[in-house]
Amino acid sequence: MPDWQERITHETEPAIRAEHDARYRVAAPLIASAEVWCDLGCGTGIAAAAALRPLGGFSRRAVLVDLDEGLARGAAAELGVQDAVVFAADLSTDDGVARVSEHLADGAVVTCFEVVEHLATFVPLVERLVERADTVTTILSVPNDAFWAIQNPHHLAMWGEGAFAELESQLPATRVILHQVQLQGSAILPVGDDLTLSPEAGVHARGAVPTHFLAAFGPRAAELEPLATVAQVDLDEQRRWVRQREADVAILETLLTEREEWRRYIHELEGRLGLPPSGAAARDQLPAGTDT
Amino acid sequence: MRVCFLVNDLQLSGGIGVVVEHARQLHQHHGFDVTLVLVREQDMPNWRYEQLTGLHVVPLAEAQEQRYDVAVATWWETVFSLFSIPAQRRAIFVQSLEDRFYRPDEPDRLGAALILDLPVAFITEARWIQRTLAELRPDAPCHLVRNGIDKSVFTPLERLDVRLDPPLRVLIEGNPGVWFKHVPEAIAATALMTEPRDVTVVSGERSELADAPVDRVVGPLTHREMADLYAGTDVLLKLSSVEGMFGPPLEAFHRGATCVVTPVTGHEEYVVHDHNGLICDWDDLRGTARLLDLLARDRRYLHYLRLNALETARGWPSWEQAGQFMAMSLERIAREPAPDPAPAAARLLSDLREGIEAQRLALHDYRELAGKAQRLEKIMGLPPLRQARRLRRSRRLLRALSPLRPLYRRARGRLLE
Repeated sequence: MPDWQERITHETEPAIRAEHDARYRVAAPLIASAEVWCDLGCGTGIAAAAALRPLGGFSRRAVLVDLDEGLARGAAAELGVQDAVVFAADLSTDDGVARVSEHLADGAVVTCFEVVEHLATFVPLVERLVERADTVTTILSVPNDAFWAIQNPHHLAMWGEGAFAELESQLPATRVILHQVQLQGSAILPVGDDLTLSPEAGVHARGAVPTHFLAAFGPRAAELEPLATVAQVDLDEQRRWVRQREADVAILETLLTEREEWRRYIHELEGRLGLPPSGAAARDQLPAGTDT
Repeated sequence: MRVCFLVNDLQLSGGIGVVVEHARQLHQHHGFDVTLVLVREQDMPNWRYEQLTGLHVVPLAEAQEQRYDVAVATWWETVFSLFSIPAQRRAIFVQSLEDRFYRPDEPDRLGAALILDLPVAFITEARWIQRTLAELRPDAPCHLVRNGIDKSVFTPLERLDVRLDPPLRVLIEGNPGVWFKHVPEAIAATALMTEPRDVTVVSGERSELADAPVDRVVGPLTHREMADLYAGTDVLLKLSSVEGMFGPPLEAFHRGATCVVTPVTGHEEYVVHDHNGLICDWDDLRGTARLLDLLARDRRYLHYLRLNALETARGWPSWEQAGQFMAMSLERIAREPAPDPAPAAARLLSDLREGIEAQRLALHDYRELAGKAQRLEKIMGLPPLRQARRLRRSRRLLRALSPLRPLYRRARGRLLE
């Protein structure tokens, strides 16, 4: 089974964790200086906490919203916020969005990362955030599903360059559009050392395939600054995962081949006995005159 | 929210299908009260769309008695009725730049172009149209709502079968009577192939295809029948010179076919040369035939393109998602102030003046030609020439006079100068 990594935990694959960290880090300066920060689809709060830690954390009012209220409470603890409003809401409904809107004071900053694609309808949420764009700053992201075109069972909408252009046409004219691109890197350091390094990254947005599309709108949208973040990859763990997957696929293919051979053999025997083939027989394997 | 879409009729066509699908989505998933307004007198029975359930379908006169939040014209001719319907806001759903459907000397061309100057909001289904409208009408709001795909009908294949054996199964889709679809040219391109081929043409208009050098002509087909046909196709061939969103290759992609297409507007939304399809040159039938031959010969390449085409299809949004963007666009159009009529009027008058000038030039050319024709008629009516014309019909005399033909040609040339 694929691991869709829809929730960020301490065990999340480093590359995915780095993507989440980067989004919160890009928003962190705005969050840190806001009177109210609302994190929609807050999840475990791990990435947000990591991004805000270097800025001294968040000490004002945090509105943490998730489908799972328990998870949102965990996020409040992870973030260490004293003034937290925590609740569960379905953001695809008018009621859920209205409840969020009640807590959005003027000057609030809303982060809405990897949420829109999970909603049965994103119309109420996007409309409300756009309506409040004169006083509330929103930063949202969607994945580039169309590039990989892997059917993610958790995603109820497919996002890509074209779909994002559609979303863009609904946003206020003073929006800021950002592309998130993937980086790979390497580090050299003395054996046994633990260091915090600041690698330089030459990043070319033009022509690069984005992993995610970000849009920001509202009074402080223009304050967003580009950044790059890297995370160390546990090669041992990665190799284990890749090899395990290869082994699983090989076993599955062998089993399927064997199953097919058995199926043919059984149909052959059934044919000799004058019986119709059992199970899902191919049309050409049915005896002549069989009514389908 | 009360919305009406103005349509000429509900006859089976791609454009109407898109409007009906949006109407259905708005009604079923977003609680809109949706009316389809038939602006023309109907003399043919309407196509029976399963999707019409729950929608109001009314004639123009009835709609004129109602009041709507947003009235949306969907084809340039329906815009003539747009302002007769009581509505808080008005919009045009631009599915193509429709002036291109007409040749330069057709008056409809000007009419189809002028509607884009009106003080209305625009909704369009392709980014190339959105970009063009942004240049033409920077003052007008323009919402992008791409067409979805009915994934329950054009269901992306779970697994792609490898096809090693000839012939190459080619499908040509389109109305042969519509000049910009270039169906006869597509058929001619397949006839120039050297590799084994199996060519199917699908069209609602089959009468013009009676003697076409193809294996079969089918149609009209329902969407489900089209989906089945695409599933048995290797490559969809489309040589159109005018398209809006360019839906058929995308539908074919969902069913595991690749495409060979011209670089027509709309293709850039999802067709990538050498990745999920092949792009041929304009008017290059031999080159197109060579591309088809390549696919027929190189089965590995064919499978590669089909595989990527299917991936492209998987990433394309459903109608449910498209409906969300349409709902948002209409809500926003209803909420925001109507566009300022002043820049629209300035643009309209400027384009009208250009149209008048073009008409004046055409009229000048026409008068010149009419004068020449009159002179010619007069000359041809002179007694010796009339006699000569009569004699010209005699074959025996023509044979006898054949040595004098160059002399005659020179004299005729001088007379007509």
